[in-house]
Amino acid sequence: MTNEEIKDKIKVILISVLKHENFVIEDSLTAKDVEGWDSLSHMIIITEIEKCFEIKFKLKELNKMNNMGDLITLIQTKIEQQ
Amino acid sequence: MIFNSVDFAIFFTVFFALYWLIGRIGLKWQNLFLLAGSYFFYCWWDWRFLSLIIGSSLLNYFIGLYIADESKSEKSRNILYYLGLAQGIGGLLYFKYFNFFITSFVSAFSLFNIHLNIHTLNLILPLGISFYTFRNISYILDIDSGKVEPSKDWVVYFSYIAFFPTLLSGPIDRAKPFIPQLENKRNFNYLQAVDGLRQILWGLFKKIVIADNCASSADIIINRYEIWSNSSTLIAGAFFFTIQLYADFSGYSDMAIGISKLLGFNVTKNFNFPYFSQSIVEYWRKWHMSLTSWVTEYVFTPLSFTLRQYGKLGLIIAILANFTIVGIWHGANWNFILFGIIHGMYFIPSILRGTMNTNKSITTYKLIPTFREFINILITFLIVVLTNVVFRTDNLHIAFDYYKRIIYNNPFSFPELVNPKVAVISTFIFLILEWIGRENEYAIQKTGLNWNKILRYAFYYCILLSILFFSGNEQEFIYFKF
Repeated sequence: MTNEEIKDKIKVILISVLKHENFVIEDSLTAKDVEGWDSLSHMIIITEIEKCFEIKFKLKELNKMNNMGDLITLIQTKIEQQ
Repeated sequence: MIFNSVDFAIFFTVFFALYWLIGRIGLKWQNLFLLAGSYFFYCWWDWRFLSLIIGSSLLNYFIGLYIADESKSEKSRNILYYLGLAQGIGGLLYFKYFNFFITSFVSAFSLFNIHLNIHTLNLILPLGISFYTFRNISYILDIDSGKVEPSKDWVVYFSYIAFFPTLLSGPIDRAKPFIPQLENKRNFNYLQAVDGLRQILWGLFKKIVIADNCASSADIIINRYEIWSNSSTLIAGAFFFTIQLYADFSGYSDMAIGISKLLGFNVTKNFNFPYFSQSIVEYWRKWHMSLTSWVTEYVFTPLSFTLRQYGKLGLIIAILANFTIVGIWHGANWNFILFGIIHGMYFIPSILRGTMNTNKSITTYKLIPTFREFINILITFLIVVLTNVVFRTDNLHIAFDYYKRIIYNNPFSFPELVNPKVAVISTFIFLILEWIGRENEYAIQKTGLNWNKILRYAFYYCILLSILFFSGNEQEFIYFKF
């Protein structure tokens, strides 16, 4: 799966959870930049991403993520490992 | 030696001068002086527990170094990691909650006519334990998760734990933003210092004029709640306490942050005008932010992650656990536990509807809110006021009786207040200034900066004079006992 395909799928998930499109998916994007992406919605978003890509995260992996670029890399790695 | 005392003014003036003078000799000496000053400040309050701060700092300093050392075996690192956590949590449980567990245990058995003869201990709560323990715990957790590197300089770590402006009541700074500030040379910054002084002035106003005056009005009503015949008086009591609580704690935080700025430190923000929130979810993003973000990161996130397969039910369980901990953090009694659970329950409808993040805050900072925004703010504030009855009253029986009287007493009459003028007028002016300045770090940060100089100083003198002439009865900071 290419990075662009991953980005498209993440965008769909974010729109469905946050109910708005006021963000641009780019590597430097952080949760703080997106309205409504807080600790509550974060776990819903993570669960939806796990379902969508059929992967499982570890808490330590999530703790080390700093931005969207890290999330995409982690998803890519998980998909390749399968 | 509270911040608004002559003792502290003398201590800090001398400390401030020597601190910057010693800074010219070298950073190491400046940090050592900061540590000595912090311990002196703590000893002024209560020297008996200084050994507890030093002991826990020492233990966590070495544990931090050990668990980050990959040449050590995984097993030994794990043992020390849990030892660090056990020391922090164990210390808190012992000093803060031991007697509560004993009395609750005995009461539970007495319900079944079994009378246990277990005695409570005569424990004194070490001042600031909830705050410096949380710093120690987050340090160990952050090293384990790779978020921070352990500090290799013991003076830096000990100073981080004992930093006197935030030692007794926070804000609870994390190691990641704070330790680098101790490790790097600090230069005196005039603009930062002036900003700090302005924030201290605002903090003093909040504490001395608003909190202490509202405390008198709240105490008269709440301490003798049985004698008031109408519910509007009881609601007014809860209102004054709510204003007192915010002005007291955020006033303290402003002073702590301002003092830190004078020493060249940037300390984390603790409040973001919470009483203008449009929902309880937003309120908790803006109230005691250093505690809520701590509990969110180290309790809610791991718990909700573990329970994520249960969907919304998992989120609800995690949020209730999260707020129970927020509640009991304040102290060992059922009122604080219930206070936490109630606030957790306020999140449930939003979680079920999936609307917890769609309520926009007033980002444009308009002077006049829309009707809908105004109603949202009013309802949220009323919920906070009413829930604070549980927080303020001495036990659950009084809390429930207070609510009963609010419901059954006469609601259609004017509150019977005793000498309310200063509290009412100053609160009104305070809320207006807070509303106008709510996009800043603190309300008067930028007030008057583009005015004529004379006008600006007249404004500061008005605040200063109101502190001198309209001070309420001096009261200790509420959060010192937590």
